[in-house]
Amino acid sequence: MNRQELFTLFSEDLFIPSLKAKDRDGVLQEMVDHAAAAGVIRDRDVILGMLKNRESLGSTGLGEGVAFPHGRSLAIPSLMALFARSEKGVEYGAIDGKPVHLFFMFIAPPIEKENRYLPALGQVVELIRDAGTREQLLEVAGYEQFRQIILGDGEESE
Amino acid sequence: MNEQLMLLVALQDLDTMIRETQDKVHAEKLSTMGFALEGVDDLKTAREELAGSIDVALLHRYERISQRLGRAVVPITSNICLGCFAVIPTAYTSVENRDKILYCENCGRILYWPRGT
Repeated sequence: MNRQELFTLFSEDLFIPSLKAKDRDGVLQEMVDHAAAAGVIRDRDVILGMLKNRESLGSTGLGEGVAFPHGRSLAIPSLMALFARSEKGVEYGAIDGKPVHLFFMFIAPPIEKENRYLPALGQVVELIRDAGTREQLLEVAGYEQFRQIILGDGEESE
Repeated sequence: MNEQLMLLVALQDLDTMIRETQDKVHAEKLSTMGFALEGVDDLKTAREELAGSIDVALLHRYERISQRLGRAVVPITSNICLGCFAVIPTAYTSVENRDKILYCENCGRILYWPRGT
């Protein structure tokens, strides 16, 4: 999956530039509530439970201030991606023990015709390995700026 | 939504997660990305606890259908069972029926009427 294909999964409705929540469960709840308000999930309680179970399998906080809550649920009709930023950072149980500032949430239905879930997750994990990208996202204020960062600011994508 | 049905949906999500974690190809992809999958036993414990709060007869039916057809609970979209693509009976669409546990007349799967549809 290239950057352009990845970006099509995001939308301005699912962009939270400044999270209010201060702990892991609060962040998950705020993101799920946001997705429910945008009308992209069917039952918030089911999704929230699934995401919490996923964290008990192993933290999706991969270090360097970034977490990737993800999973499959019957309570979503199609793959969705949500980005959220916390200016203060959140204790998330990340593998390096540092607070998390950037969140990429991916939720997929149990069966997906186009099979984009893992490729999308893999692509965003790869993008975030770049320290410069992380620094840019820490300063992101609007969706257009987010779009430019994900697309590589006009660089050749692939 | 019917509370028992919501528990079944959550149970199926958990079963999906456990199955994927135990799938070598899937687990390897996640591991390559950097995700640790060490808490399978915790998931299994959570699964047992969740299963314990579901009506025994309903749980047995869920287990039987899962073994036979893979997915026991499927959503209804445009009055179609997404397990076998059969059209559901018109009576199922009534408001009072939306809070009941209904089964597809064709494949026997448990039908899930998503909120907001």
